[in-house]
Amino acid sequence: MAVKQFLHSKDLKALALSLPGALFIIFFLFIPLATIVVYSFWRTESYTMIADWNLNNYLTILTTKTYLTFLFRSLSMSLAVSFISLIYSWPVAYYIAKYGGRYRLILTMLTAAPFFTGILLRVTAMQQILGPIGVVNMFLSNIGLKPLHLLMYSHYATGLGLIYLWIPFMVLAIYLSLLTFDFKLLDAAMINGASPLRAFWEVTLPLNWIGTCIGLALVFIPTFAATITPKFLGGVNGALYGNILAHQFGSTGTWALGSAMGVLMFTISSLFVFIVFKTVNLNRSGYTGKIAGE
Amino acid sequence: MDTNKFLFFFKDMQTSSYALQLVEVEKQFGDVRAVDNVSLEVKKGEFFALLGPSGSGKTTLLRIIAGLESAGKGSVFIGGKNVTKNPPYARGIGMVFQDFLLFPHKTVGENIAFPLKMKKMSATHQQEQLSWVLDLVRMKGYEDRFPNQLSGGQKQRVALARGLVARPDILLLDEPLANLDRELRKEMEVEMRRFQAEIDIPFVYVTHNQEEALTLSNRIAVMKDGHFEQVGDKLELYDEPATAFVASFLGLNNTISGEVLRQENDFSFIDWKGIELKIPTPNGIKPGDRIAYYLRSEKMHINPHGKSNPVDGSITLTAVLRDIIFKGQYSDYFVILDNDEEMVISDVPDIESLKIGGKVDVSWLPSSGFSFAADGEE
Repeated sequence: MAVKQFLHSKDLKALALSLPGALFIIFFLFIPLATIVVYSFWRTESYTMIADWNLNNYLTILTTKTYLTFLFRSLSMSLAVSFISLIYSWPVAYYIAKYGGRYRLILTMLTAAPFFTGILLRVTAMQQILGPIGVVNMFLSNIGLKPLHLLMYSHYATGLGLIYLWIPFMVLAIYLSLLTFDFKLLDAAMINGASPLRAFWEVTLPLNWIGTCIGLALVFIPTFAATITPKFLGGVNGALYGNILAHQFGSTGTWALGSAMGVLMFTISSLFVFIVFKTVNLNRSGYTGKIAGE
Repeated sequence: MDTNKFLFFFKDMQTSSYALQLVEVEKQFGDVRAVDNVSLEVKKGEFFALLGPSGSGKTTLLRIIAGLESAGKGSVFIGGKNVTKNPPYARGIGMVFQDFLLFPHKTVGENIAFPLKMKKMSATHQQEQLSWVLDLVRMKGYEDRFPNQLSGGQKQRVALARGLVARPDILLLDEPLANLDRELRKEMEVEMRRFQAEIDIPFVYVTHNQEEALTLSNRIAVMKDGHFEQVGDKLELYDEPATAFVASFLGLNNTISGEVLRQENDFSFIDWKGIELKIPTPNGIKPGDRIAYYLRSEKMHINPHGKSNPVDGSITLTAVLRDIIFKGQYSDYFVILDNDEEMVISDVPDIESLKIGGKVDVSWLPSSGFSFAADGEE
C-alpha cells in the first residue's frame, strides 16, 4: 500500500525529474573531483601513483615561493580581468537591453560570435593583432613609431586576450538581468531627485546585482584556470598558475602535486563565488518570488 | 521690440502667483502633434484634472511638466521659476505613477525617504518628514516592509507618500487609481481629497475617467488631439459644456442628431429620424444645418404610458421599455422610441408599474440638453 502510494506520489515525480541533473553532476563533477582530491593526498614516483596518504603536496605548493608567486599572479590577473570586463560590459549590455529594440537578440548573439570559432583560433587571432608582427605594431612601425613592447608576449597581452575571450559571458549575464528590469523605475528615481548616475547607483545596479555576480563568476573562473591564453600571448615569462598546473600532468608527471594544485584552484574559485554571492541579499535584489522552503 | 521685452518681463513676474504655468507648449512626435500650443495656469492649492481619452496627449503633457519629455516649443514654469530646460531631478516636483514604480529592493521607509536622501537632508530631519507623511497616508508601522508585501491600496499610499514627503511645489499624478479595483478606487478618491486639502500642495491629475475627475478636482481641462477643448471649474464644464466633445465626454449619454427644419424664438425643430424634436438653437445655426443634441440621462423622466405628469414646456415621447438596470438610488431604463432609436433614462426605481416590454412615456425639458453644430463628430 505504502509502495503504491509512493509510486503515485509527487515525491517520485520530483525525484525522476531531478535524476538527469543529479547523474550529470555525479559523473562529471563529483567523481572526477573526488578522484582529484584523493590523488592530492597521494604521491607520484616515476610516473606512478603511490597511495601513501600524506600532506606533502599541499605543504609544497603553500610554502614554495614559486608556486605562491604563480598563484598570486593568477589571482591578480583574474581579479583585474573580471573587474575590467565588468566595467566594459555594463554599458554594452545596457545599450543593447535599452535601445536594441528588435535587434536585441542579434546584437547579443554578435557578442558571442567569436565563440563560434573556438578558443585556439581566437587566441591565435589575438596574436595576429598584438604580436611583434601583429596589426597594431606593424601599423606603429610603418608610421615611424616604436612598437609597443607592452603588447608583445606580456601579462598585458594575456590580460587583453582573456578579457576578449570571456567578456561575452559578462555581457550576456548582465543583459539577461536587464531584460527583466523595469527601466521606468529610473523615471521615478529622477523625479524624486536622483541624477542619472545616482539613479544607476541607487536603482539599476542593486536590481541587477545577481546578474552581475553571475557574470563575475563566469569570467573569474575560466580566467583563473587559463592555460592556452597565457601560453600563446604571455610568452616565455608569461606563465600563470594554470600553466604550471598543466605542466604537472605533462612532462614532469607529478600528478599528485598537480591534483593538489587543482584542489587549491577549485577551492579559491569556490571561495570567490561564495564571497561574491555573499553580497546578494534576496530581499534587496528585487527578487519577488517565494524563497524555497519559506 | 521694447514692448515685447517688457511684456515678457511682465509675464515672468506674473508666474510667481501660480504653482504651475505652461506657456504655448508644443510637442511633436513624427507627424503627430501630441501637444498643440497648450497654455495653462494652476494656482497654489488647486486640485486640477487633465481629462481626456487615451491618445489625447494628456500623459505627454504631464511628462513635459515633469521633465521626462522635453517641450518642443514653449515654456514651463513651476513655483514661479522657468524650468523648461531643467532635468526632472531639478524641478521640485513629486509624481505618482499608474503602476506605482516603487523601488522593489527598498523598504517602504526607504522608498518614501528616497527624495529626502537625494536632497541630502539630515537623518533627524528625514525621520521627522517620514513620520509626518506616514501619519498622513496612515501607513505607520509598515516602514520595514518591502513593496511586494503590500496590497495594491497600500502601494498606492506609499507612492503618494513618496511624492509628497519632500513637499514639492506641485504633485503630478498619472492615472494613479487605474490599477486599483472599484472599491479601493472609491476609498482612495476620498483619501486623496483629504491629503490634498491638508497639505495644500497643488495636484495635477491625469485621468480618462470623467467620474474621477468630477469627484476629485476643483478645475478640469478636457483634452483632445493635443489641445484643450475646455478649461474651467468642474461645475461649469458639467453645466455648460463648450463643445460637443466635452458634452459627450462628461457623461451626456444620449446623443441625437438631425437636420434643422425650422426655428422659433430660441428654439430649433429638428428631424430626428422621423420624430420632430424641439431643441435649443446653437450659435449661428440656420434651417438646413445638421446639429447634434446631447441629453443627460438623469435630466429625463420615465412613466407608464399615459401617466406622465410633465413640467411645463416638457417634451413627451412614447417608447417601449427594453431593459432596466437597477443601480440602487436610481435605475437606468433603456427604451426604444417610435423611430427605433434607443435612449437611456436614469430615474427613481419603480418596480410596481414599469415592466420590461411595456409602453412608457419619456419626457424632458428641451433646455436641459446641449446642442452644437454637427461637424462630423460622432
